[in-house]
Amino acid sequence: MALIYRDTRMSDVIAHEPSVIPVINRFGINLGTGDSSVAEICAAHNLDTDFVLAILNTFVNDGYFPEDTLLSFRVSEIIGYLVKTDNYYRNYQMPNIHRHFSLLLKTAGGSNASLEAMFRFYLELERDIEQRIDHDLNEWFPAISEMNADGGDSVIMPETECDSSIEDKLSDLKSMFIKHLSGDYDLNLCYAVIVAIITLEKDMRQNNRIRDRILLPISRSLQHRGS
Amino acid sequence: MTVTLLLDDTLQEIGLRYLLRQYFDIDAATAGSVDESTDTPSSIYFVSPGKFTSSLDFFLPRRSRTAILDSSITHAHNESVIVEQLDIILKSLEQRHPDTAMSAELSQREIEVLSLVAKGLINKEIADRLNISFNTVLSHRKNITAKLGIKSVSGLSVYAIMNGYISEGDLHR
Repeated sequence: MALIYRDTRMSDVIAHEPSVIPVINRFGINLGTGDSSVAEICAAHNLDTDFVLAILNTFVNDGYFPEDTLLSFRVSEIIGYLVKTDNYYRNYQMPNIHRHFSLLLKTAGGSNASLEAMFRFYLELERDIEQRIDHDLNEWFPAISEMNADGGDSVIMPETECDSSIEDKLSDLKSMFIKHLSGDYDLNLCYAVIVAIITLEKDMRQNNRIRDRILLPISRSLQHRGS
Repeated sequence: MTVTLLLDDTLQEIGLRYLLRQYFDIDAATAGSVDESTDTPSSIYFVSPGKFTSSLDFFLPRRSRTAILDSSITHAHNESVIVEQLDIILKSLEQRHPDTAMSAELSQREIEVLSLVAKGLINKEIADRLNISFNTVLSHRKNITAKLGIKSVSGLSVYAIMNGYISEGDLHR
């Protein structure tokens, strides 16, 4: 869609691109935005409008990545957003997939072997995501914050790489549903599961750009400075 | 298939890249000159008449995969005319270069490789087991992933179980 500006109405953004709903939610913005502009809503929620705009534009437009703008924000702000993102995956998006997927399995009454195999695959994926989130929240992000704050010579930066295994598995799961599903199942529930998976996949893909192209380089340069 | 654009006008290149992506799902690259492009046997070139004539040595041997864009495209007055022209060009280039027409079904050999991957064997072990080269295993794996849309080892295991190529008991050697 077109770029989002300070005076763009938030309701227009959402109507045009409903996949931003989980993104604004993690900033504490809920639906029912009336005719307020992005800037007005950010002011009401005590958010940095420029930062929210950069995140929304990056999220909505695949080809858009304002690297310099993103690098101009404080490290704490970027980390703050990624913490919210991780928590949102953990507290909302994954439980949502889990709940619908379990229900889908249950309504199939134990008679759909392919769904059962796929659910086990999802559980494995869920563990992988949990592990990455644990690593982010307990090791990587705190180390960056500490080093960034005081040069933190005593801090050891944990090993963190661009790792696409989770994204590969999410895309695999999507293929399994779309190309390889067989047997009987509840159509509506199945659609809900697929939409939830695709939503999470997009969310991760867009946010990984911030993770891999903004935070990772910052983390590496801090590490060099420290050593 | 990769498409490289060598036009005289940056705006035209941006516009063409957009249309190729939007309507043909092709990510075209741009290059200032032929030296900057990475040439593979499946590379296709969209060039302006000027760029073509100034690099004849490069394009003549690659004539069968080069399309010269004349003003019927670059100066067309609406989008659908350009899209139709591009469609014709791409179809004719594809006919000359039939993209390794792949069937969606796994071959017997691919099923064998898949089953071993799913059981947790690494490529080297699979090569030894099937008496084929390491590179052959890699190329089978690439084709399997392209056909199934599944890349991870555990995802391939799930697929193999779903289709009865292996049983649950095979998973943990």
